[in-house]
Amino acid sequence: MNSLLPLFVVVPLASTFLIMIIGRFVKDFNKYFTAAVLLFLAVFSYYSLASLHGGLALCKVGGWEPVNKVPIGIYIALDGFNAIVICIINSVGFLAAIYSISYVKRYTGENYFYALFCLMIGGMNGVVLSADLFNIFVFLEISVISSYALVAFGVGKNELEASFKYQVLGSLASFLILFGIGFIYWKAKTLNIADIREAFKSGYDRPYYLFVELLILSGFGLKAAVIPFHAWLPDAHSSAPSPISAMLSGVFIKAVGIYVIIRLFFNMFVITEGMAILITTLGTMSMVVGVFLAIGQWDIKRLLAYHSISQMGYVIMSVGIGMILVARGVRHEIAVLAISGGIFHLINHAAFKGLLFLNAGAIEYTTGTRNLKEMGGLARSMPATSATSFVASMSISGIPPFNGFFSKLIIIIAAVMARFYLLAALAVVVSIITLASFLKFQRYAFYNKPHDTDDRKFREVPFPMVLSMAALSVICLLLSLLAIPAVRDAVLTPAVDILTSTVQYSTSILGQ
Amino acid sequence: MNDIVLTIFLPLLAGILLFFIPERLKTVKGILALLSAIAAGFFAVSLSRADIVAGTPGALSGGGGFSILGIDILGDLARYTVFNPDSLASLIVLFISLFTILILLYSLVYIKGKKANNYYAWVLLTAGCSYGAALSDNLILFITFWGILGITLYKLIPGSSEESSAAAKKTLILIGASDSIMVIGIGIIWKMTGSLSISGTSLNTDNILAITAFLAMLTGSFTKAGAFPFHTWVPDFTKAAPATSSALLPASLDKLLGIYFLAKITSGLFKMNSWLTLILLMAGSVTIIIAVMMALVQHNYKKLLGFHAVSQVGYMILGFGLGTPLGIAAGLFHMVNNAVYKSGLFLSAGNVEYRTGKEEIDDLGGLSKAMPVTFISTLVFAMSISGVPPFNGFASKWMIYQGIIDFGGGSSIACKLWAVWLGAAVLGSALTLASFIKLTGGIFLGRRYKGLENVREVPVLMWIPVVLLAIICIVFGTLATKVIVPGLFMKVTGNFSFSGFWDSSFVSLLVFVSIVTGIIIYLLTGIRKFRSEDSFIGGEVIQDETGYPTPEFYKTFGEMGFFSWMYRKAGEKWFDLYEMSKRFVLWLSHQVSEAHAGVLPGYVIWVFAGLIVMLLIMI
Repeated sequence: MNSLLPLFVVVPLASTFLIMIIGRFVKDFNKYFTAAVLLFLAVFSYYSLASLHGGLALCKVGGWEPVNKVPIGIYIALDGFNAIVICIINSVGFLAAIYSISYVKRYTGENYFYALFCLMIGGMNGVVLSADLFNIFVFLEISVISSYALVAFGVGKNELEASFKYQVLGSLASFLILFGIGFIYWKAKTLNIADIREAFKSGYDRPYYLFVELLILSGFGLKAAVIPFHAWLPDAHSSAPSPISAMLSGVFIKAVGIYVIIRLFFNMFVITEGMAILITTLGTMSMVVGVFLAIGQWDIKRLLAYHSISQMGYVIMSVGIGMILVARGVRHEIAVLAISGGIFHLINHAAFKGLLFLNAGAIEYTTGTRNLKEMGGLARSMPATSATSFVASMSISGIPPFNGFFSKLIIIIAAVMARFYLLAALAVVVSIITLASFLKFQRYAFYNKPHDTDDRKFREVPFPMVLSMAALSVICLLLSLLAIPAVRDAVLTPAVDILTSTVQYSTSILGQ
Repeated sequence: MNDIVLTIFLPLLAGILLFFIPERLKTVKGILALLSAIAAGFFAVSLSRADIVAGTPGALSGGGGFSILGIDILGDLARYTVFNPDSLASLIVLFISLFTILILLYSLVYIKGKKANNYYAWVLLTAGCSYGAALSDNLILFITFWGILGITLYKLIPGSSEESSAAAKKTLILIGASDSIMVIGIGIIWKMTGSLSISGTSLNTDNILAITAFLAMLTGSFTKAGAFPFHTWVPDFTKAAPATSSALLPASLDKLLGIYFLAKITSGLFKMNSWLTLILLMAGSVTIIIAVMMALVQHNYKKLLGFHAVSQVGYMILGFGLGTPLGIAAGLFHMVNNAVYKSGLFLSAGNVEYRTGKEEIDDLGGLSKAMPVTFISTLVFAMSISGVPPFNGFASKWMIYQGIIDFGGGSSIACKLWAVWLGAAVLGSALTLASFIKLTGGIFLGRRYKGLENVREVPVLMWIPVVLLAIICIVFGTLATKVIVPGLFMKVTGNFSFSGFWDSSFVSLLVFVSIVTGIIIYLLTGIRKFRSEDSFIGGEVIQDETGYPTPEFYKTFGEMGFFSWMYRKAGEKWFDLYEMSKRFVLWLSHQVSEAHAGVLPGYVIWVFAGLIVMLLIMI
């Protein structure tokens, strides 16, 4: 199993080239091949998750064994935490690929679309699996650059503008990250995360690394669209083709943003309370400001994009609370609760936000507009879209029995238990405003009267699109099961354990 | 144990199955729904009084564990799935079954012509979740069931017009908001006691945390039941929704559950201090008065009933605010009575709407001859809600008055103000009577308008539930002190004695005797020989289209100095928490959006500014 880990990166990269070559000659090869590849990756990711048993799987690419216990090869590691993220990437990716089969027909150059799509998946898998900083950076660039191209895929005026802004701010982020990595390499003389952690044991130059931590935090914060680094997100996520929006909002910002922040700050840097408080503050700010930005929007995809900022705020805030408690070294069980709430919400967000963007795409596909003021009464003509988007809206608003309720419940209870009453109250307020804005979406899109000037007859979207929306809404319901203690112990607890016992990651990598 | 699981999950499963039956077979779906509701009701009634039961859903499959991929899914779940069928819960469950069955029976005809997709499925889900919320003893389990009720409420409005979609949105926002607030309360309770058990917890409200938790829970209960200031969804909902939806949720099940939860938090989860008592009593009085004042000036009868659904909650809150056994029993009795006559009123309104298609009192009149059964039942309900003896509303209101007077003997500030609470309750009752004279008078009496000539009585399936509810009103009223209160409510609150001389059967007998005497006098003395004339309108010849819309008589009331100001502000939604917070949030949203001008250099500056600020803070 260990030696199979590079498949997560190799398979999508290889299929990118295959699609570019074979797709030119064989009609429809690209779409079905992409779906098949992602199905394989999704199944393989669940298999990997199930066969981990809370341990850590490590692959030293090329068989380069460590010399004097100093790792020299490229390390690919799978543990409880990134296994979850890998599952999210590939399953949402699979459903988005299925959805694309019908959706992307409206664009020219389908070959490029699927090639870039696979490239992006490969890049994200690489970021999440890499156990050293430099490979994280390389794969980050692979996935980010393909996402620039995908955002601009519509080649309209808005798409190009959005992509340009995204590129400028994205390169800024890459610059900050590379800068930070350079600083670390200068001092620690290594790029392997586990080895860096090991180097910190002999002494942690506090002021020096504080600067590095801030560089890394703002760099990956830009990728994760944490306020005040969020400005590129609403444009980019709303301009991309809808399956790509679903990938960007549902998966991308988590894989290359949140995941890396969590991983580096727990398992590489030495956690300090000040930094933990800063991260919690950033998360809280994103959560609150994001939702206020969202509720005023009338463009569906912009509304959803702003909510991504807000929901990622929940994740960061909750993990940050756990980080504060870990830094203080007190109340370990509450830190575990907070972090597992955050990760639970991260999983849930992938499901419901992915679904919501697919719904928005279905609406745009049928009606040709994204403006809520120009639609209405779609529940009758698009029953499947209406039902699935209702599920997603209720999930993101935290209404039982859908998954978002349980993760928000855990987050709020953890905040109360950790005595962060203000944060708990803010989480509740944001949840209410989220509910309000999604009911606005429901009301103007699906309920209400059909728009006056509109006498066209709308039909439900094609079957592949309905299929992937239905699958995601079932997933939204099933993810609630993660709230059941036994299931939580099996899935979330290994992920939380590797984060809270901060040195475990490095010792188990260096030990193998 | 199995009875509990069956009671809750039978309607839930049946409801989910109904989604898969095509909408063409609406009547079949209705009958299936009715059958499963009856079956669930059967199990609900047979819930014996048992101790707290830790129930694993695994008990359904014969006790064995249930594992996927080597994980015993149900192992730890038993900590959360705890049910407690105590006497209060059994009482609530009994009435939930009653209302569900009656309303499903009524819906068989009523909903047939309406465009209400999956109506029966949502009704069954509502019933199942109500059973679940009433029976669960674990706060997490409770809030899950409780929260799903918000969705079913939302789905029971058609939402296909501007107005009903707005009402649906408002309803779910308010309900969902209160549920989220309750989560904080649950968190605090868990933190303070380390337990999530409803029956095993008793918190002293002597520190700010416990009081916050209490207020959070109170918000949930108030919103569900529809009490000031969280009541504003009720009138909008009842106006826009089909009569059966209004009768099912805001009139009966939401009241039962909201007040049930109020009972749990005021006399179980928390030990009330005197300030909280004062807050409760004030909330109760304000609810009674504000809502009934709004009801007085309504022209739409469904909205009028909605405001009364709010106003009556005030009485129940008064009862629980008192905290004495008499007060709690009175609150519970009023809760049951209110659910009975209020759902009866909504169903009667449904009858009128079914036959006439009109919702404005001004457009209706003179239907008493055409719809005698509906008329008589409405009259019974109207007198019950207005507190006229010997109907049930009088009995419970009287108990509340008694409770308030008893309570006045205490020494706290809330006790000293007993006259205020009593005054609000009595005044509210009088104004209720006034507005129901308008309702019954406007719809059933007076001249019949053009276009209403062909109105007939509704089909038998529709009037049977209404008549049954009316009979319950009379029985509960006449047998209150002898049978009903000792039999149903003393089990819950413990024994207490009625103060003063009042025996409902005796009073009813007196009322009955006086009515009979009146009829005898009427028949014997020949007063029948009166002559009837058209009304005198200054010598003008009366025209066919001339009418005297009853609501006009109530206009004067709205034009008096202070009241006219108040109604104007109410029209501008000044008293609507939802509208006010909406304006605030949108204003704030506008302010934040202003900053996002879409200028790239600005965004780049933000990035560096953020980095620099973080550096400055951390160093």
